[in-house]
Amino acid sequence: MRILVVDDSRVARNIVKNMLKSMYHVEDGFVEASNGEEAWSALQASSVDLVLLDWNMALLNGIDLLRRLRREDRFKALPVIMVTSEAAKYNVIEAVKAGANDYLIKPLTEKNLYEKVRKYFVQEGL
Amino acid sequence: MAVRYIEPFIAATVAVFHELFQVTAEVQKPYLVKPGDPHNWDVSAIIGLAGDARGAVVLSFTDSFAYELTASLADTSASPPPDLVTDTIGEVVNIVAGNAKKGLEQYRLVISLPSIVKGKNHVIAWPTKGIPIIGVPFKTSIEPFHLSVGLENIVTYE
Repeated sequence: MRILVVDDSRVARNIVKNMLKSMYHVEDGFVEASNGEEAWSALQASSVDLVLLDWNMALLNGIDLLRRLRREDRFKALPVIMVTSEAAKYNVIEAVKAGANDYLIKPLTEKNLYEKVRKYFVQEGL
Repeated sequence: MAVRYIEPFIAATVAVFHELFQVTAEVQKPYLVKPGDPHNWDVSAIIGLAGDARGAVVLSFTDSFAYELTASLADTSASPPPDLVTDTIGEVVNIVAGNAKKGLEQYRLVISLPSIVKGKNHVIAWPTKGIPIIGVPFKTSIEPFHLSVGLENIVTYE
């Protein structure tokens, strides 16, 4: 399992990574990106099994990266969980329409993160 | 700005400090802020609000409290570098603004990326002039901090 964590906040990326490391053995580790363009480049360079994606970022935001991913055949089935402070229902609906598999609202709790990512680890047999 | 529009920001602030830092933030008496008034905060994190209403939400801290909050999230006991402190308080105001949108769903709001202003008696450049700015002091067991919200109604569906 290799996880791409996309967030413009280093603190936020560390929170996600530390929570996941305390729950699972993330065998193949993490790839990090601080905006959508970096994430797009990272996805060209290496294969990942799950993307945790913030919404508000410079250069290319999370929702636009998600739309770009879903236009590409090779990324259509890539699991993407939005991890964002955007808590309004219309944001959740927009993300789901754009192709998000799941939606987590910051601040994260270990329980919420565990429940959302569990099925992807189960699919990987981990 | 009707006073009730401050409530989602207060609730979000209390929740974020509890969830992220395990700190109880006690709300003190809100008041009307006069822009340009002197204050004792060292650093402020600002998020602009646009869409159906324009304005901003600002969280202000002393340097020592901003460092302490950052250190509580850091992996190391070493003093956090300044860029990590900026990152942390930017993320905090981002979460407060994003969470407050849930209580303001009658407006379709877009939040900006956070920006940081530092320095003794720094001045906040509010995006709209003449709007009332509500200040909310908070008390914690560590140090106080301050929330300010100015929100101008552009469109209402009520």
